[in-house]
Amino acid sequence: MASQPLSSSVQPTDVYGGDEVSAIILDPGYSSVRAGFAGEDTPKSFLNSYYGVGADKKLVFGDDAIHNPLAGLEIRNPMAKDGTTEDWDTATQLWEYAITSRLTSFKQADPRTNGLNDDLKDEKDVDAEMEGVQEGEKPLEEHPLLMTETAWNSTKNREKSIEIAMESWGCPAFWLARNSVLAAFGAGKATALVIDMGASTASVMCVHDGLILKKSVQKSPLAGNWLSSQIRSLFSAADPKVDLVPHYMIASKTPVDAGAPAQAVYRKFDNPPTPSFRALEEERVLTEFKESVVQVWAGPGRLNSPTQAGSTNLDFVRSQPGRVFEFPDGANRMWGVERFTASEGLFDASAALPIPSEETPVQKSQTIPEMIKASISAVDVDLRAALLQNIVVTGGSSLLNGFNDRLNNELITMYPGARIKIHAAGLTAERRFGSWIGGSILGSLGTFHQMWISRKEYEEFGVSIIEKRCK
Amino acid sequence: MPPFKDEHILIIAPGSQTTLAQLGLPESFTPPTHRFPTRMFPAPDGKTFEPYKIRSRKKLVTADGDVEMAGADGKPEEEEEEFIELPDDDEGAIYPLKEGRIVNMPAFFALLNHIFVTLSPTLHTPVMLIAQPAWTAKNHEDITQFIFEKFKTPALCIMDSALATSYAYGIANATVIDVGFEKVDVTAITDFQISGRGCVPHSGGEGMTRNLVELLKSKDLTRDMAEQLKKSPICEILPAGTPLPGTGEAAEEVVSNPAAAASTGATASGPNVKITDAHGESGQHHGAGEEDGDGEGEEKIVDEDGNLDIASIVTSGKTQEFLAKLEKEKKAAQRKANKDAKEAAEAAAAAAKPIRLPNSKRPRVVFHYEEIIQDEPNPKRQKTPESAPTTTAEETAAPAVENPEDDSNQQKTTQKEERRIKRDIEIGVERFQAAENGYMDAIADAVYRTVLSVDDIAKRQDAWESLILCGSGSKVRGFKDALVNILNNRYLVSPSSATMFMSELPSNLATPSGTGSMTPNASVSSTPNQPPTANAVNPLLLAATTATNPTLNPSASMTSYTGNQAHSSHSQSPTSIKFASPPSYFPEWKSYEEAMFLGSQVAAKVIFVVDQGLSKGFLSRVEFNEEGPAAIHQVGLVY
Repeated sequence: MASQPLSSSVQPTDVYGGDEVSAIILDPGYSSVRAGFAGEDTPKSFLNSYYGVGADKKLVFGDDAIHNPLAGLEIRNPMAKDGTTEDWDTATQLWEYAITSRLTSFKQADPRTNGLNDDLKDEKDVDAEMEGVQEGEKPLEEHPLLMTETAWNSTKNREKSIEIAMESWGCPAFWLARNSVLAAFGAGKATALVIDMGASTASVMCVHDGLILKKSVQKSPLAGNWLSSQIRSLFSAADPKVDLVPHYMIASKTPVDAGAPAQAVYRKFDNPPTPSFRALEEERVLTEFKESVVQVWAGPGRLNSPTQAGSTNLDFVRSQPGRVFEFPDGANRMWGVERFTASEGLFDASAALPIPSEETPVQKSQTIPEMIKASISAVDVDLRAALLQNIVVTGGSSLLNGFNDRLNNELITMYPGARIKIHAAGLTAERRFGSWIGGSILGSLGTFHQMWISRKEYEEFGVSIIEKRCK
Repeated sequence: MPPFKDEHILIIAPGSQTTLAQLGLPESFTPPTHRFPTRMFPAPDGKTFEPYKIRSRKKLVTADGDVEMAGADGKPEEEEEEFIELPDDDEGAIYPLKEGRIVNMPAFFALLNHIFVTLSPTLHTPVMLIAQPAWTAKNHEDITQFIFEKFKTPALCIMDSALATSYAYGIANATVIDVGFEKVDVTAITDFQISGRGCVPHSGGEGMTRNLVELLKSKDLTRDMAEQLKKSPICEILPAGTPLPGTGEAAEEVVSNPAAAASTGATASGPNVKITDAHGESGQHHGAGEEDGDGEGEEKIVDEDGNLDIASIVTSGKTQEFLAKLEKEKKAAQRKANKDAKEAAEAAAAAAKPIRLPNSKRPRVVFHYEEIIQDEPNPKRQKTPESAPTTTAEETAAPAVENPEDDSNQQKTTQKEERRIKRDIEIGVERFQAAENGYMDAIADAVYRTVLSVDDIAKRQDAWESLILCGSGSKVRGFKDALVNILNNRYLVSPSSATMFMSELPSNLATPSGTGSMTPNASVSSTPNQPPTANAVNPLLLAATTATNPTLNPSASMTSYTGNQAHSSHSQSPTSIKFASPPSYFPEWKSYEEAMFLGSQVAAKVIFVVDQGLSKGFLSRVEFNEEGPAAIHQVGLVY
């Protein structure tokens, strides 16, 4: 996009020029949706991608609604495993909720808000709602929308995006940007090797002058959710076996000795919540486990590789103090070497723990070092040095303890002699919202205002304009 | 721009039910001088809003109770109509805020305007508006535009209500739990910045009232009655796991008097049996109730007789007839008498308390309900003076021994001759169950979720250690204790036995060695080849053993024993859960449910008077003119 700036003389006359209205940046991902105004440093709206389907088929969105242990509440996700959108109808509603709940006003015509008021339907509420209906029908009529997509998004999906933005939301202008490119922009680079550790997908690709080099795109499922399944394997292999009981099942817990069985009072449910709900709640515990216990072996070498002293790194780790984790049911124990083994598979396919539900073991090509190697070797030799000096690490799963140290060590081993520089934002929020922040920067640039696909253009060319303009 | 003065500052804090407002900052900060109900009424023209209900009636014609606002609309014979304001009537009211969200912007603007006009500030008045967490960015912009354009104010600051509360307490890291009318907002604050938000919809004070109505369906409790019951001291929230009186322990305690024991057991079983579905989850009381069910048969008859009395008169059509009769004979003078009577009754009730069991031990309690009757053309609060003395007499006479016959006698209903509107209703253990059925669980989960959404893991423990409970809904007795109880029971992470002792054991045995040297929070770039440092003693243990004798611990508890480092083998939180103590240096503030307003005064003083805009605490008129309403996002204390 930055490759073809238009000088003011050739500027199309029908571009959208709303300088004073800030654009909305929408960055949907597998685990969360980020939305906010361009020019701000964090997204004002941060929404869980998982949504609930109640027993009455009503959809509920947001953390405030989906964590109630209600009977029949099914938890689903509109995104496909590779981070692209699968269920467009729900995704549209989800994103709309992300935008209307925190950014623009609630519109009364929205079925969701009406649904919320169902239980208190007295006359005065109806009055209030009737007034709101007349105000406006579409949530985004005032704001241009910048949306992000993955590098491997399909043409059909891209066309669907602009259709929703223009038809359902009534945006005055639209742009679709690659999230990796935006992450690079967020780090202040137009040329970079972007390593994005998401929830469902880890990806590595080369960005040159704001454009993705298609051949260099590498992705694998070895990301946050895979790590969760590694931890589950760890729990089931542990001795004694760890039962993952989420918080909602517990009425109260009693402190017990490390390793002792839990003594908790469990809550009783006449109609137990669905398995999908339980999975969601278990994931919350695993997230906490990842935050406070899991660590990446920082190197040098791999966890299993021998050290000079003749032992292996594993032995060294064993001598290190462990960390305690207390589960919701009160059971607690020390996690020593296990906290390293859980994440080692990200870098070393042979160290990955077997996951019972998946037959195919982790391929070597799926690990992060191999993806980097493949990505770098797919681009022109002249570019490689510049890319290695501009490595941008983004995504929530990259916040694992020791991840960057290990990455650095692996790169030094792979490319001895090359100058390697990793740019990873120090602030947690900047790492998690990397691509959103890039979008916020892009959307607030004065020069970017020439780039928007305006409503007029859309009306003239239809959905196919997205393929022509957003490269 | 001349500096702002204390007496010019206007503070407005809207809530879903009541909007607090005050003009000027007093020497010592006070509770708000003005309270406005957050509701508007459609004006007769159908477009604008009025602060009070206005009803038109034809001149020279007696007001027809059925004349509706809409009906008056557009009728040509206007000169024959006169409009009257009904300040106490809330029929047909529009509530601009619902669960904190602005659902009706025009009405909200009208409310702001009404407040502004009522307080009539000067032209130099800067406005401090307290925002609800649920307001969207667009809401902020719209309000900014409205206030600047309509009020011509020189400066505006919009501040988040949770943040204002933390200002009142003067705590940089806190978790504010605001129990509002229909929602509970949870906000995690770190370094006076909002870093996590959660909300429990369909809860708040109204949620408890609804629970009570549901539970007491069999007694035909109306919403108003449930509301009064909730506010009365007999309604309590017991910590989870506390046996309800009349079941288990409680029955054993009063066993010295056989009659009383029988009565408690049986009466407790009565309501339990009637509303089994509401008790589905709480198996324990249920079972206990069945055990005690021996004397149920005869007891129940008495019970139901009593109930029928109330039920038939309270809510059936008869009540309406009966109230209609009363309406004709209303006198304003009664109001004061009523008040006195009520106070007397309360005093007497308070005096009678010591000789009784504590509320939480009594299976049944008589609840005095006072109905307010609206007079159509000239509404006045109506309570009966006569009933109170008789009741108090009975109250004091009713001894510690709870005689079932006494109870049924007490269920006096209204008497036409004396115009009694006050009723006594016997309420069983339902009064302890206003927050059951997952109500508290949802709040606790929201607190947990919100604190865990704080990015800075090291700050989470601080947020856990200064919980702040505010909002009028939290006034219900026992709310705070019940919440602390549930949080402690469910989320508190205990010091693990694995790390209680020193790491002097040979490390090659792969023994867990909890040392203070590996502080997990700070180990992002851990260099594993670094040997464990000398300080291989659990700092918690060290601190505990040297607490009484500080000289033993020269490295000073300052480093190892402050805040979140308490026992550092955990990076999990919370390792302790505490409620922050309210500030004691504001003599005018007795209760801190509205601490948000105190905080807004503190902030207004700092932002408008002390700081004078140096750190961009507010949006000035000049800035608004240049940049438009979106500039509000660059200033102020919202995010």
